[in-house]
Amino acid sequence: MNVSYPVKGEHLHKRFKNQIVLDDVSLTLQEGEIYGLIGPSGSGKTTLVRILLGLEKADSGNVELFEQRPTLNAFRSLGYMAQSDALYNELSAYQNLDFFASIQGMGGKEKKQRILEVAKSVDLEKDLKKNVAQFSGGMKRRLSLAAALVHSPRLYLLDEPTVGLDPMIRRNIWTLFHYLKGKGATIIVTTHVMDEVAQCDRVGLLSEGKIIAQGAPRDLMAQYGVPSVEEIFIAIEKEGAKK
Amino acid sequence: MRNLFAMARRIIHQIVRDKRTLALLIIAPLLILTLVWYIFGAKASEPNLAIIHYKSSDLLPAFKSADYERMSPLQARQSLADKKIDAYVDLKTPVKVHLEGSDPSRNGLAMSKIQKSMQAVQQINVKKMKTELTGAIQTQQKTIQAQQQTLRQMTEVMQRYAPSALATIMQNAPKGEKPHAAAAPEKVKLDVTYLHGNDDLNTFDSFGPAMVGIFVFLFIFMIGGVSFLRERTTGTLDRLMASPIKNYQIIWGYMIGFGLFVIVQSFILTCYIVYVLNIYDIGHLLDVLIIVFILSFSALSLSILLSTFASNELQMFQFIPLVIVPQVFLSGLFPIDTLPGWVRALGNLMPIHYSTEALRNIMIRGTGFSGWWFDGLILVLFSIVFIAINILVIRASRPVVD
Repeated sequence: MNVSYPVKGEHLHKRFKNQIVLDDVSLTLQEGEIYGLIGPSGSGKTTLVRILLGLEKADSGNVELFEQRPTLNAFRSLGYMAQSDALYNELSAYQNLDFFASIQGMGGKEKKQRILEVAKSVDLEKDLKKNVAQFSGGMKRRLSLAAALVHSPRLYLLDEPTVGLDPMIRRNIWTLFHYLKGKGATIIVTTHVMDEVAQCDRVGLLSEGKIIAQGAPRDLMAQYGVPSVEEIFIAIEKEGAKK
Repeated sequence: MRNLFAMARRIIHQIVRDKRTLALLIIAPLLILTLVWYIFGAKASEPNLAIIHYKSSDLLPAFKSADYERMSPLQARQSLADKKIDAYVDLKTPVKVHLEGSDPSRNGLAMSKIQKSMQAVQQINVKKMKTELTGAIQTQQKTIQAQQQTLRQMTEVMQRYAPSALATIMQNAPKGEKPHAAAAPEKVKLDVTYLHGNDDLNTFDSFGPAMVGIFVFLFIFMIGGVSFLRERTTGTLDRLMASPIKNYQIIWGYMIGFGLFVIVQSFILTCYIVYVLNIYDIGHLLDVLIIVFILSFSALSLSILLSTFASNELQMFQFIPLVIVPQVFLSGLFPIDTLPGWVRALGNLMPIHYSTEALRNIMIRGTGFSGWWFDGLILVLFSIVFIAINILVIRASRPVVD
């Protein structure tokens, strides 16, 4: 069987001044899975995502995208959504999507069609002409997600994509993720929200720069004998205290 | 290529949609230049002057009553203290000048006016000496005529009694030369010719070229820097970094996007000062535009570079006193020849210094390409260096294999 690894990080170390942010993190994603990266704030989630993307350099360790060293070309198949909305406030929603589609090499009718399609999937098709500055926080978040989807990548790295969204829209977005997964995309998503964790195929628990547990949510809960993913953190902490 | 144009197009969209910035870029420089034009372009008012001790003085004709008020010494002192007059002249020999003295520019005006009058004083003195000399010469001539009369009588007597002795005397006598015709009186007034410019050239005309450079640099620096800084702080730069766009495309996209805009801005600005404010300009408009354009490139590339070291807009604006203000002072607005060597060396590192030099050559001295190619070249070099560093900075933060 030919299993390909869209993202692979091996023995990643990263420190800022005296603070260790990542301590020997290894992570391999399988094609077509939704991987949830969870952990308290400050645990290194964002740094890990940025290193996997090639936005930051690890002090040591290796990163591979689509089984090779990251190249600019590999970015064509990659959709990134940061914690900040990363939109141009002076421009309209359409102009934003148009720009991000253009730098991904799209053009012509295909681009136009795709922008409308993506706007529809995040429920913004009626607001395309509005200035982003007039958008609400939730609308910006959705537009930001649309900008990550517009070039139909095979791999998504989404940093807290649902933060600040109301439950209805959040559910719609997760439906969208499952739809993308169904089309063969791989998604890595960081989150705080525990009911989202249950929807991931696999989760990695990040604490103080280390992945302390990894696996399907159900298996992990069974392994530690707890009823929710949240409590795995507590269980592991207790275990550590025993030692 | 497509990425490059996408970048440039986006920046143009951003500027055009941001009406405030647009207004700042175009209207603000025009407004300030108009103000500067009024301040420096206005003709200085005539100095108020007075004379004292004039009654017994024969120098009075040199001090016309239209220019010099007649005052008593007490009056003059009082008026000077009240700043009603800038200076008064004491006509007692030797002539003395008393200045109000608190404003150097008024001092200069008063002095140059008084010095003009002093030239007339000299003429009066010369005339006086001339009449005295003519008198002396006339008395001498009378004496000579009397002597010649005696001589003639003596010759007559000798002719009668000793003609041979007379012949010998006549042969040995030195031949008197005829007196020269009197030389034409010399002109006292100076003839002034100008290699460049003319006597209508005012302060604004010489400030103008520097001002154009300063404003273009300042506004492009602010807007370019903040715009790139925002790219960093809002996270859009990260999005660009996680896309296939190349490092040089990001920087050059900015250069082209702003560049197109700068063409419009510098065209409006230059046309305004040349055709509306009527600045002294004998050069080609195209030459001026080229220099302004190259200058704004260096401003833009420098601002992008410095935005790397700022983490918010306030910190970006903190660069203005550091980067812009020294350039204003060392740009050539004020003479820098007498400054210490290290200050002048600093001036040589400043883009506006070169644009001022080039624009003065074009506008006031009317030199063509030969007068500005060197300064233009240095401005281009500035931009190339800044752009190269910018690309390297982006590359350093992007550990991806190209």
